[in-house]
Amino acid sequence: MSARRVVAGVVLAGLILALAIATAPAHAGQTCEQKAPDTQAITRGLALAGKVEQHLKGSSADVVVIARVGQDLREYGQRYSHLGFAYRDGEVWRVVHKLNECGTDTSAIFRQGLGEFFLDDPFDYEAGIVVPKPEVQAHLLAVLRDNGRLSRLHTPDYSMLAYVWSKKYQQSNQWALETLAMAEDADANSRDRAQSWLNLKGYKPATIHLSTFQRLGARVTQANIAFDDHPDKYRYSGRIYTVTADSVFLWLERSGLGSRPIAIR
Amino acid sequence: MNRLKQLTLGAALAAALVLHTPAQAHRSGASEASAGLSMLPVAISVVGPSAVLSAGVVFTVIAVEASVDGAVWVLESVATGVRCTVRLAGNAVGGLSVGVGTAVTASAVGAGMVLSAAGTAIAFIPNEVGKALLYNERVTR
Repeated sequence: MSARRVVAGVVLAGLILALAIATAPAHAGQTCEQKAPDTQAITRGLALAGKVEQHLKGSSADVVVIARVGQDLREYGQRYSHLGFAYRDGEVWRVVHKLNECGTDTSAIFRQGLGEFFLDDPFDYEAGIVVPKPEVQAHLLAVLRDNGRLSRLHTPDYSMLAYVWSKKYQQSNQWALETLAMAEDADANSRDRAQSWLNLKGYKPATIHLSTFQRLGARVTQANIAFDDHPDKYRYSGRIYTVTADSVFLWLERSGLGSRPIAIR
Repeated sequence: MNRLKQLTLGAALAAALVLHTPAQAHRSGASEASAGLSMLPVAISVVGPSAVLSAGVVFTVIAVEASVDGAVWVLESVATGVRCTVRLAGNAVGGLSVGVGTAVTASAVGAGMVLSAAGTAIAFIPNEVGKALLYNERVTR
């Protein structure tokens, strides 16, 4: 091997993404375990991200509502655990979503690649996609490009099972749903008003049934779950009304604001 | 008073149970945490002959240099002795048990190359497709 060939070898520049990754939150996947990912998980996550990107690039959509199966929620009658918005940004697609900082009760809004979205230690490698109708896409696109508007309805205090009609906490899917309301109605510029709009438009949250045992266990051991925002009559009867990805998908289709969900595996 | 005691006992029992089933504890919700990729160092640059980083090639780590921003690994192909230098970014690099003598395998994915040691992904080297899939920006504080 000549020295010249060695010197003339490949240089894979990735400075921008390296800088981006370097600022990523310093915590692990959804189980919050500090472990290096296994090769198969990385391979499958990247493969799914690539497949979704191909699908989106080939579509006429500029904005979609995108969901992942981050956790196994079958026990609660839910397929997808987490959703955000994906949008066309020149030649690439980006995802804007809200993330809870692992093991804490706070959260932040992130703009990420499809790679990051599907490499988050998912339970299953499937994407759910709903295409909003063109006017809704246009309204959302303006918000997705504007960090100020993305932050407007964000409440950092996080509870994974936040009550749908409360402002005390806000979970990831709830932020996305309320932000969609704000995009659709200029008057929905507070969480109160966004929730009123959603109520008016017939959004129905999912009902998660939790036993007292489960509630107490979750509250005692997890910083990111609280129940004090739920009305007592529901809380003590184990009915938790919260925003799930599945309930958002159902509502988007039912209301005519979006397409029927499709799954990409 | 009795009621308070019962609640406390119930909470303690529940906590004990949940603590023994951590996977379940984190899978009871409807919305979630992040972000796994921060645990996987991403290559900023690879310098070496273009063919050396091919799927299935097994390397031995012959030098490791850690810095605050990441690390530099010098890898040598077991079959051909050809070397390449991989510069990595990511605050997770320091946590990896990669040292001189570690066996590293390259495997191809559509988005680039994944380097593994004993079945664990230790670094990702994105190609153009991979670079388009990766981005991370915190919008809010």
